Amino acid sequence: METTHGDHHAGGPDAGLPAIQQVVSVLWPSFLTAGIATIVTFTVFDPLQIAQCMGEPGLTRLGAYSTGFFVFWLFAAASSGLTCYFRRPTDRIRG
Amino acid sequence: MAEPAQKDAVVEEIYKKHEKIYPREVHGFFAHMRLLAMTVLLGLYYGVPWLQWDGRQAVLFDLPHRKFYIFDWVFWPQDFFYLALLLMIAAFALFFFTTLAGRLWCGYACPQTVWTELFMWIEHRIEGDRPQQIKLDKSPWNARKIRIKATKHAIWFLLALWTGFTFVGYFTPIRELWHDVLAFNLSGWETFWILFYGFATWGNAGFMREQVCIYMCPYARFQAAMFDRDTLVISYDAKRGEPRGSRKRGVDPRELGLGDCIDCTLCVQVCPTGIDIRNGLQYQCIGCAACIDVCNEVMEKMGYPKGLIRYTTENQMEGKPTHILRPRIVIYGLLLLLFTSATLYGIATRTPLELDIIRDRNTLYRETDEGLVENVYQLKIVNMDEKPHRYRLSIRGLPGMVLDADPNPVEVPAGSVQEETVRVRVDPVELKRASNEIYFIIEAEDDPKLRREEKARFLGPVL
Repeated sequence: METTHGDHHAGGPDAGLPAIQQVVSVLWPSFLTAGIATIVTFTVFDPLQIAQCMGEPGLTRLGAYSTGFFVFWLFAAASSGLTCYFRRPTDRIRG
Repeated sequence: MAEPAQKDAVVEEIYKKHEKIYPREVHGFFAHMRLLAMTVLLGLYYGVPWLQWDGRQAVLFDLPHRKFYIFDWVFWPQDFFYLALLLMIAAFALFFFTTLAGRLWCGYACPQTVWTELFMWIEHRIEGDRPQQIKLDKSPWNARKIRIKATKHAIWFLLALWTGFTFVGYFTPIRELWHDVLAFNLSGWETFWILFYGFATWGNAGFMREQVCIYMCPYARFQAAMFDRDTLVISYDAKRGEPRGSRKRGVDPRELGLGDCIDCTLCVQVCPTGIDIRNGLQYQCIGCAACIDVCNEVMEKMGYPKGLIRYTTENQMEGKPTHILRPRIVIYGLLLLLFTSATLYGIATRTPLELDIIRDRNTLYRETDEGLVENVYQLKIVNMDEKPHRYRLSIRGLPGMVLDADPNPVEVPAGSVQEETVRVRVDPVELKRASNEIYFIIEAEDDPKLRREEKARFLGPVL
């Protein structure tokens, strides 16, 4: 069921993985974590207070939640993307 | 690199290019159960935001005002604790039912399954059943194909848009939202989230389908850990079915040396994830029981007993007794009960009043002209009740302490926050330490049960 695919597979971990699946494997987990991070952060902090501190008094709460979510998503995706990138075996990079 | 053949097969399974699955439509007991679950769940999803309660939307997660309304209950950010408990309940319910009856959630209740069923149902009405769909997709583009595909996508699109609209309607009042839609007056973010959620629905239910379960769902990956030999799973009775093979109706299969499986492959054709249940339990199986329905139909036609594919347990399959009550079930069940009752008790007995105290950070303390030591506090009184209250403030902790609060009592409107700056003075001879504990007490004048006591620090010089 659970597979440790890739690690010992000829051609490196992500060889043969369709591009769309590689993209999804970065975007999807980061989407989930961004959702959780948004809920937790904005439960503890009122976005309006944060916006005031940052000198953005024109921001609405809905706008702040949405922006917050996408910022979290961006950071989480950056992390997932870097993980994917570093998992590539070095011999393949050298050519 | 030498690899076991089975592992290679699994790896191939994961890496292979996706092929579209055309599940055949199925009728029968479990199909009816799924239809029932789908109707109830979708009915709730699309219907609930329109319910009114006490002159407001009954279920509204009011993000702009940071309040969640669920019928009589109103939750504030301070009630985050209950959300955490709710998540624990959801997790243990999932564990409990998975151990008991396998992937019930996946087969009947998961939004992915429910919307996929709905989208497939529409697809079947417009494009026809499996053979017609395959034929249509293979045929070259012509006016008829374009017309059929366009109709399907138009209906999917409208449905997805309505789904997105309903989703946003849980977060901003749906009736006002509807007026805004009609008047083309939606805010940018509302428009964005309607389209975003609509697009996700269209993509997930129309195209991704079983791939979401196989590649994207974390639960599908770890659910096997909760299975044991007594878990109800959908299985093919290989002992009875094998050796499989086609035969004419009315022929005794035993004479031909055959089992009960006539190898009609209908169980594969109806499977929404495209697996062959006869190969044993697979992680792709979402437990929808479509194969049970279709196989029973075939068995009936052949005059064989039903249940060649059925809900059963590993133990039962091997002729051993099945135990329903087992340690896992008991522990999950007890924890589920514990968390549920704790949450309900907590919500039922919570005080809809909150008092936050922030010490003035500019000065630690100040000496007044009368020689008293003074501390300044910023109080935040949160009235979470649905009606206004007048709250009386008092303090205790040091002898002879004086509270200077104006106004006192404080009037706080329903469901709002009132901030008040108060001063506390005390004779320095009473201060034994530089930092002393004092307590602010707040009590509603009309209801003594609405009472809060919060600790604060009183700083001063040590004489």
